[in-house]
Amino acid sequence: MTLATLAFALAALMMVGGALVVALTRDLMRLVVGLGVFLLGVAGLFLFYGQAFLATAQVFVYVGGVLVLVVFAVMVVHRSNGGRPVLTSRHDIGAAAVAFGVSGMLILSLRDSVGGWEPVAGQGGVSLAEELLGGHIVVFELLGVLLFVALIAVLVIAGSGERR
Amino acid sequence: MTLLWGFLWGVAAVATIASGAILGVWWERKVAARIQMRFGPQQIGPFGSLQMIADVPKLLFKEDIVPELADKAIFKYAPLFVFGPVAVSMVVIPFTAGWAPLDTSVGILFFLAVPSIEVIAILLSAWASHNTLSTLGGLRATAQMISYEIPRSLAVLSIVLLAGSLRPLDVVEAWRWWWMPLTFIAFVIYFIASIAEMNRGPFDIPEAESELVAGYFADYSGMRWASFMMAEYGSMIAASLFGAAVFFGGGWPFGGALGVVVLIVKTILIMTAIMWVKWTFPRLRQDQLMSLCWKVLTPLAIVQLVIVGVVLPWL
Repeated sequence: MTLATLAFALAALMMVGGALVVALTRDLMRLVVGLGVFLLGVAGLFLFYGQAFLATAQVFVYVGGVLVLVVFAVMVVHRSNGGRPVLTSRHDIGAAAVAFGVSGMLILSLRDSVGGWEPVAGQGGVSLAEELLGGHIVVFELLGVLLFVALIAVLVIAGSGERR
Repeated sequence: MTLLWGFLWGVAAVATIASGAILGVWWERKVAARIQMRFGPQQIGPFGSLQMIADVPKLLFKEDIVPELADKAIFKYAPLFVFGPVAVSMVVIPFTAGWAPLDTSVGILFFLAVPSIEVIAILLSAWASHNTLSTLGGLRATAQMISYEIPRSLAVLSIVLLAGSLRPLDVVEAWRWWWMPLTFIAFVIYFIASIAEMNRGPFDIPEAESELVAGYFADYSGMRWASFMMAEYGSMIAASLFGAAVFFGGGWPFGGALGVVVLIVKTILIMTAIMWVKWTFPRLRQDQLMSLCWKVLTPLAIVQLVIVGVVLPWL
């Protein structure tokens, strides 16, 4: 077993373990920790394929941004009665169906577009920048506008809630 | 072999931060005392320099208390993830022209991104204490840290634009002395935002001794408390080293071993300035803190970027 295999196995283990924790635990904070481990595992996988830029961006945006937002939401929304915040939703079967459906769809579409199970070797940040700011700049900018509109919508909704 | 080197570098980084923290605490006590017209530590060793050697065993032997209602697993291991990222972020710093412990093409982004893990660890440790004051401190710390990440990154971006690379070694190589006046605003923004990232005074409302006891680490004791302390000093050392390397050209005007010495001297000067700021300015209120970040520093950082962008084609 080479070091690369070991690194890959570690990243995969982090992803699978984190995902299992997210799916199985009812303790919301443990769930957040699981999600964090999963996201770091994804970053590790990017690193394994030589996409250092993508891995760093993953840590920056997802661990530093999205995960913190999730923790904030849990802390602020949770009404403290002395206990830990727990997941009270009982939609296990529906959630499992959605999860399997989405992952099946992803696997099928990726299989068609990539055309094999072999991973595509990465070319690093330069080609990524050329792709995003070259050919796909319109899509990229439109996504930015969409997120901006969503942000304003959230502010409007939150603001109207205060007045009521 | 790589793994072994990685392990050795890890040990070196932790040892550097630990000894740096010991020296830093002593130096800070001295600086603070001088500012307040006192002497500071002077009983143990010459100029009280052995005071911290006496303090470390005290911390090591203190009882490790875990509150009964705390989320035990998270409470115990979160401090490791507060300290760990700080140590990791040091590996990309270019200590001399052509040499950094880890030479990577995204080093600058790496340095700015890795403390994000620290934010989540602070939030988790604050929450795991099961204590209102800790939770409030954690929320304040997080709001502050993720807000100040933006002007901080924008400030470093103007240097990246000038150097045309995210690789710290390239930046040090491309650095010219006239970048100092050109990116002066960026350095001031980086300086202020870095202090806010460390949760140090005058940005220490997350710790606010008078209202929140010690904020997010109020319930910690012994070595677990010390890891928060070391994280604070570690990020002070890392931010000063990075600032000296990126904004002041590393070992400029010397190369090689002398360059490392010059870099360390610059780092100590920046650290002393950080302590000076802490012991001079009063604490900011939460709303003042946020408006400083969003209404002053972020627009200023964008102005600095525009200045660099305008100058760039003529260089």
